[in-house]
Amino acid sequence: MYLGVDIGSSSSKAVIINQAGVVCGEGIVNIGTGSKGPLQSVEMALFHASIERDEIKKCVVTGYGRLMYQGADKQITEISCHAKGVKFLWPKASTIIDIGGQDAKVIRVSINGIVENFVMNEKCAAGTGRFLEVMARVLDCDINELSGLAAKGKAGVIISNTCTVFAESEVISQLASGKKIEDVALGAHKSIAQRIAGLCSRIGIADAVVMTGGVALNHNVVTAIEKEIKHPIIRLEDPQAMGALGAAIFAREMDEGIS
Amino acid sequence: MFEVIGLIHELEAIGQNPKNAILDSMKKTGKKAVGCFPIYAPEEIVYAAGMLPVGMWGGQTNGTLSDRYLQGFCCSIMKANTEQALLGQYDFLSAVIVTAYCDTLKCVIENWKAAFPQMNLIPVVYPQNRKIQAGKDYMREEFERVRKELERITGENITPAALEESIEIYDEYRYAMQEFVELTQAHPILLNAKSRHLIIKAAYFMDKKVYTKKIKKLINAIKKLPEEETGKKKIILTGLIAEPDGLLDIITENHMFVVADDLAQETRQFRTIAPKQGDALQRMVERIAMQDGCAFLYDKDKTRGALIKDMVKKYNADGIIICQLKFCDPEEFDYPILKKELESEGIPSLYIEIEQRIDSLEQLRTRIQSFGEMLS
Repeated sequence: MYLGVDIGSSSSKAVIINQAGVVCGEGIVNIGTGSKGPLQSVEMALFHASIERDEIKKCVVTGYGRLMYQGADKQITEISCHAKGVKFLWPKASTIIDIGGQDAKVIRVSINGIVENFVMNEKCAAGTGRFLEVMARVLDCDINELSGLAAKGKAGVIISNTCTVFAESEVISQLASGKKIEDVALGAHKSIAQRIAGLCSRIGIADAVVMTGGVALNHNVVTAIEKEIKHPIIRLEDPQAMGALGAAIFAREMDEGIS
Repeated sequence: MFEVIGLIHELEAIGQNPKNAILDSMKKTGKKAVGCFPIYAPEEIVYAAGMLPVGMWGGQTNGTLSDRYLQGFCCSIMKANTEQALLGQYDFLSAVIVTAYCDTLKCVIENWKAAFPQMNLIPVVYPQNRKIQAGKDYMREEFERVRKELERITGENITPAALEESIEIYDEYRYAMQEFVELTQAHPILLNAKSRHLIIKAAYFMDKKVYTKKIKKLINAIKKLPEEETGKKKIILTGLIAEPDGLLDIITENHMFVVADDLAQETRQFRTIAPKQGDALQRMVERIAMQDGCAFLYDKDKTRGALIKDMVKKYNADGIIICQLKFCDPEEFDYPILKKELESEGIPSLYIEIEQRIDSLEQLRTRIQSFGEMLS
């Protein structure tokens, strides 16, 4: 059995695969690096796989907290791991948009799964999951409700896509001027989409485009990005776990002497 | 080997502690120091005046005093220099030469005049058309002005003989550095990214004659060592600077080394040497006229991309890291052209935005590690 752990800024993911590459266990905990999240996610995955820790032959850890995790055989970046995980499930993928808690990345992968190029957001949280968290707080709703809320909204509210702090002030101003919450939510999603489209234009897009990371769970954001980049986006069943899946595949390849 | 390690540690310590190194050099040589802003300050004239030209390349400051003069969108080198000057850290300098390559530097000159009225501030403006005769004549006049300013400060004439001797010292230093940077190909562990950078940087804080003697000693000692076989990936750095040092450590940690650079703080300082024609000032003028592929000197033919592509071929480099100092406009203007040229040749490149003080290097670590994974 092979374990992949993806320790992000706001969530921890663990995936266990067997020799054949079949996922046997998975754990996702919504707390990230520096917390008990990584260990909890691993325990959850071990429990689902009905195995003990010592049955893991190799472990690869990825994500923002990769260097803090004890007991890994190797640390590999989330860029390589997301590419590995996505190519495993969707071999035709050429462009991967990964939006996590504090980073947004666009990754270009070759036909044989090699990372050809990538771009990341700069320091600002605009265009990341943190932006959505801030928006949900200002709009007084749960982050899981944002997608449904935005789906009822009408286009027309424009929110800054360059700075989360400015965007927060803008949202408050828009609400104060009588704009509907759902319209503002849609505007916030468009703001993220524009930011991601900017990253995509720097690196170039090629089909198939696949989206990973926690923000991919928000279907309205995915739709907004599709409109901005003018390409359809493949929606995976479990976008959050792609990094951990890729890490588990790397662990298996290590054991087989491939990488 | 002990001699090599000793010399490397000595130069690294100087590169890491500019102020102490400058004060030490002043004490040992009995010379007064003149601060030289980046990038091509006419150091040879300062040296001919019997003074010590010292580099002013910012630092890791975190103060707010400079906010009075510089906006948040000014680069961290200018902010750090201004902050340190306001803190009195440069009070030991007899004069400061400020070059005017960008909008921020132009404003810095005026700001410093207002902030430090007691300071001997010598602005230098390089011509846009540095290759035509009128541009060269103008540049010579600028150098003559610097010479007169320094003569006024010291009360002594700068003789043609002193200028000739100075340019010979500087050319000898440049030839030695050209030889030094070639050594990293065979010694990527000994001359890892940080060591290489600090050894080159040390030259800014020492008497050039003393530094050249040391670097030649180091070169000769390294040449006697066996070549290192490492399989590390070969990287070329380009940009104004590649700091903080933590950035260079990340490159080393991820099995890469700097095989060559096109950094304004490093190789651009010594890759061009003017032929021995005319007097010292003429040779200084020619050197600036000949210097191409630099974002800070107008280059109508945009030769930087071709220059880097040639470097990739020469060193068989695996990739380029473009070190973009945040808010450095001249470098930013070059990037789209450079990116296009590298992409057209299929040369892998990584664009990173840096500041001299970065409190969290984690995002940079992810980028550089990913780039390393991409190349392997």
